[in-house]
Amino acid sequence: MKLLKPSWVSHNGKPIFSVDIHPEGTKFATGGQGEDSGKVVIWNMAPVLREEDEKNENIPKMLCQMDNHLACVNCVRWSNNGLYLASGGDDKLVMVWKRAAYIGPSTVFGSSSKLANVEQWRCVTILRNHTGDVMDVAWSPHDVWLASCSVDNTIVIWNARKFPEMVTALKGHTGLVKGLTWDPVGKYIASQADDHSLKVWRTMDWQLETNITKPFSECGGTTHVLRLSWSPDGQYLVSAHAMNNSGPTAQIIERDGWKTNMDFVGHRKAVTVVKFNPKIFKKKQKNGSSPKPSCPYCCCAVGSKDRSVSVWLTSLKRPLVVIHDLFDKSIMDITWTLNGLGILVCSMDGTVAFLDFSQDELGDPLNEDEKNSIHQNIYGKSLAITTEAQLSTTIIENPEMLKYQQEKELAEHRNAASHETQAPKLTSVVNGESLEDIRKNLLKKQVETRTADGRRRITPLCIAQLDTGDFSPALFNSVPILPGSSMSSQLTPQLSSDSSTANSLGLRPAQDTPATAPGKTPAEPKEGGSSLALSGSASTGMNSTSMKPNLLLTSAAKMEPMKALDSRFTERSKATPGVSPAPSLGSLDSRVKDSSSLKDPKSKDETSSDSEEKMAAIKSLPFNKRKAEMEGGEVVEKRKKGRPRKDAKVAPVSQAFLQATPSTEKEPVRVVAPVALLKLPTPTPQKAFSLQVSSEPSVYLEVENEVSTVGGARLSQLRCSRDGREWDTLLASRILTAAGSCDVVAVACEDRMLSVFSSCGRRLLPAILLPAPMSTLHCSASFVMALTAAATLSVWDVQKQSVLVRNESLQTILSGTDTTVSQSLLTQQGVPVISLSNGKSYCFNSSLETWNLIADKQDSLVQCADFRNCLPSQDAMVTTGPLAVMQGRTLNVCPHSSQRLSTLNPASVRTQPGGLRKRELLKEVLPVIGQNLRFQRLFTEYQDQLELLRNK
Amino acid sequence: MAKVQVLNVAVLDNPSPFGNPFQFEMTFECMEDLPEDLEWKIIYVGSAESEEYDQTLDSVLVGPVPAGRHMFVFQADAPNTGLIPETDAVGVTVVLITCTYRGQEFIRIGYYVNNEYTDPELRENPPLKPDYTQLQRNILASNPRVTRFHINWDGCAEKMEDTENIDPAPNVMLPPSCAPGKALPLGLLPDNSMDCL
Repeated sequence: MKLLKPSWVSHNGKPIFSVDIHPEGTKFATGGQGEDSGKVVIWNMAPVLREEDEKNENIPKMLCQMDNHLACVNCVRWSNNGLYLASGGDDKLVMVWKRAAYIGPSTVFGSSSKLANVEQWRCVTILRNHTGDVMDVAWSPHDVWLASCSVDNTIVIWNARKFPEMVTALKGHTGLVKGLTWDPVGKYIASQADDHSLKVWRTMDWQLETNITKPFSECGGTTHVLRLSWSPDGQYLVSAHAMNNSGPTAQIIERDGWKTNMDFVGHRKAVTVVKFNPKIFKKKQKNGSSPKPSCPYCCCAVGSKDRSVSVWLTSLKRPLVVIHDLFDKSIMDITWTLNGLGILVCSMDGTVAFLDFSQDELGDPLNEDEKNSIHQNIYGKSLAITTEAQLSTTIIENPEMLKYQQEKELAEHRNAASHETQAPKLTSVVNGESLEDIRKNLLKKQVETRTADGRRRITPLCIAQLDTGDFSPALFNSVPILPGSSMSSQLTPQLSSDSSTANSLGLRPAQDTPATAPGKTPAEPKEGGSSLALSGSASTGMNSTSMKPNLLLTSAAKMEPMKALDSRFTERSKATPGVSPAPSLGSLDSRVKDSSSLKDPKSKDETSSDSEEKMAAIKSLPFNKRKAEMEGGEVVEKRKKGRPRKDAKVAPVSQAFLQATPSTEKEPVRVVAPVALLKLPTPTPQKAFSLQVSSEPSVYLEVENEVSTVGGARLSQLRCSRDGREWDTLLASRILTAAGSCDVVAVACEDRMLSVFSSCGRRLLPAILLPAPMSTLHCSASFVMALTAAATLSVWDVQKQSVLVRNESLQTILSGTDTTVSQSLLTQQGVPVISLSNGKSYCFNSSLETWNLIADKQDSLVQCADFRNCLPSQDAMVTTGPLAVMQGRTLNVCPHSSQRLSTLNPASVRTQPGGLRKRELLKEVLPVIGQNLRFQRLFTEYQDQLELLRNK
Repeated sequence: MAKVQVLNVAVLDNPSPFGNPFQFEMTFECMEDLPEDLEWKIIYVGSAESEEYDQTLDSVLVGPVPAGRHMFVFQADAPNTGLIPETDAVGVTVVLITCTYRGQEFIRIGYYVNNEYTDPELRENPPLKPDYTQLQRNILASNPRVTRFHINWDGCAEKMEDTENIDPAPNVMLPPSCAPGKALPLGLLPDNSMDCL
């Protein structure tokens, strides 16, 4: 057995009440007391397991910390599927956390530590029902329910599939309920309370199954928690604190008749926590020795108030190991690793210990199958609802299947890779505008109104939907901020301003510090370690005046005069009705601490002399400043110059930007179309691009911008090749986008000119001046469709020289801020079709002058409609009609559609629905089925049948 | 748990002349749709000694606030120089941004502000009567001091005021130094204010 106390797992010395390892074994959560709130921290498991990972600074140790609980967190528990984390605390709340996708590292605003959260865990639901501290939470097998117990004497069962729905409240305890455990078979839930009882409840009707009191009658309510545990085979329930002959024990309760004949004895004080190893073990068969198969046994860890941990095997009469003096205070929680060979133990003293066992010590863990067969034998049913984890251990029986599985994995890898590269791109753009652009114009753009009583009211700009980590469609166009995009970019100017302020506030010469620091630092509890340590070193005469301490000292000195001001940060305005101010993030200023802690008599004097000191400091500031200028004047000057220069640099860029897209000329547009707020992305000018317009006859367009300069004007070239014959023309402005059909070629330039040519290169019309820059351009037959950046649509028939759609606004269909145009096309008949990011597609009927909805991916009717079944697969489709494109014929094989799949059975059905040969279709579908391991047998069956038919 | 979390505050136009308006770009996140507006205030602390010299530069309502992440720029005019004690004009003071929901303040963001003359001549020999046109305001943007308060997000403010009126005893009983800033012992809280915790 190896023992490790990772010192870095701490809540800054505050007690840790709970610890739980993630089902994947890659991370673990701790819950406990934070600075002035409850705290949940998610840690990386790798540095605990491997020393090299612990030393590797690139491997993060802390993944995420959540300060959202208002009071101490008593329990953290991962769901069995690992997707959720539930936490319960003294604030009477149960919070359920989920990892948020798409959000990178971030810090808590205003928090002193600049440590970023590597993972983002977001509270997805808050469960409110308890009227007292929540002591324990537990997920039921298969995550159907979540149970929580509280000092309000109740246990609440929540519907884990439909938070925050409450299933029931179990009432019956007459004391604080301090522990919960589910029967691994799912039939019962057991609870232990301070009322000297352990109750077992049925999950079928949520009624009391049994009430066990005898072993607990002598118990006093002295433990903080009573975490009991059920053995993985379901046969034994082991309680926390019980008494036997006035000695503390952990009572073993047999499932069969709830008999209480055995107990774990030996701890000197009350047992606080019992935790069964999730694995069932069997003894290693040693060569030559006992040939009889040993009985499988369980393993259990017991923690106590006597600060010791014991590990027991049900096959042994004595504990496997007892570890004393590992902690300074009571054990609070124990959790086993996934493989059953390690435990994490946490204590009230704020530390965590890791115990690592070998298989020689514990035995050979049974695999899931063996465990299931034990369950099958005892309970007549297997507990295994084939979970993903188990699927991964399923043996692939078919080589073809293996191939598809590997392909799937590869595709996933590629997806993940491309996802990573895409993510920042995705996030920096909202509705076609980068966040930077938005921020630049936010003040001008934000909607400000006056309320009836004349007050200003600002409508905030929504920059992201709330991201719960689901792949919601909203994420495709509205995106949360990445620190890369805004936070960090903003950090730089802040930092520079910081350093400049630090400088301007007075950079003290190093020699001054020993004189000033010791006297002042004791009055700076807030500045904490750094300044105190410094004053120590300064007073001991160690004139080690390196740059860093010097800077720290100046910051300490800088804060000094502001103590009077400091209180203003935390004192709530008197007008607001106060509940209980709880300043967070450790930014409690010195004033408050001073005045509230009566222990420190010095601080009293401090507050009274605040004003004087401040005056003195103000007077001294210019003085310091002068000194700083004499000694560090160069630096200050540089900074001073540096800043405006930076600003000046920004200005030309924005000017250039204005020139590039003539936004000044947008003003008239606003008059024409009051919906100028709707902005569609415009293509960025490229140096050169080419596109194929049609294949029959083959027509190619080539565009080269700024190909030559004539008389100061830069010319752009459009070259068109049609069946080998070429023509080209020059344009005076850069070409943004081009489109063509067999009959016409159209190009839109930066100067908002739209030029239309015949396929042979004749200019069909003089250039059209568009009301706004071009967003998307389409040509089809003799029709030209223009979608401008101001979200207006026009379609012209250039042959007949007539207009089909006249500057029609897309406002009608772009209702809401979060939809954008995702695709547009023009049919051969000149009907414009626009599909939006919300899955809806519209065409504009020019005779009715209306927008008609032609496809809606979110329409539940359409989704459930039978015709979807016979939709041909993408490859089988030779002709692609516009409607089909819009309706997106993606072949969805959902995991639960096996019945639907069975209709594809080649042997049973030989008809040709939808004009398609079933077998052909099946051949195409087979790879898709092959990617899902659940359908392995189905896959093999169909494959065999297809093979059979082919050979006939 | 707070329904609104301030994610970031960017101090715009900083440093700037004393007379320039304050500009803060606020980014905040809301857990669920808020039926009422948020009220944001910028308070300029004229003098550290007394709240008497506090100036509320501006207050705006922000709404409607649906669930999600939002941004806005809060601009407020520079403080009225007439209300600032002359001795406190130059030097370090504080600007506060507070946000209230249903009349209850739930976050207070404070920044140190240093007002100083840019002209070295003036800096060495500051005029007796401060010359505000020559003063430069520098907000220590990198060091916001954030204090969060627990409020009742669901109930209405009146109720809470009532409980305060009915049961002011806990406040009175505490030593005066404990009253501001320090959390009340949990047991002393009036019953229905528990809901908000």
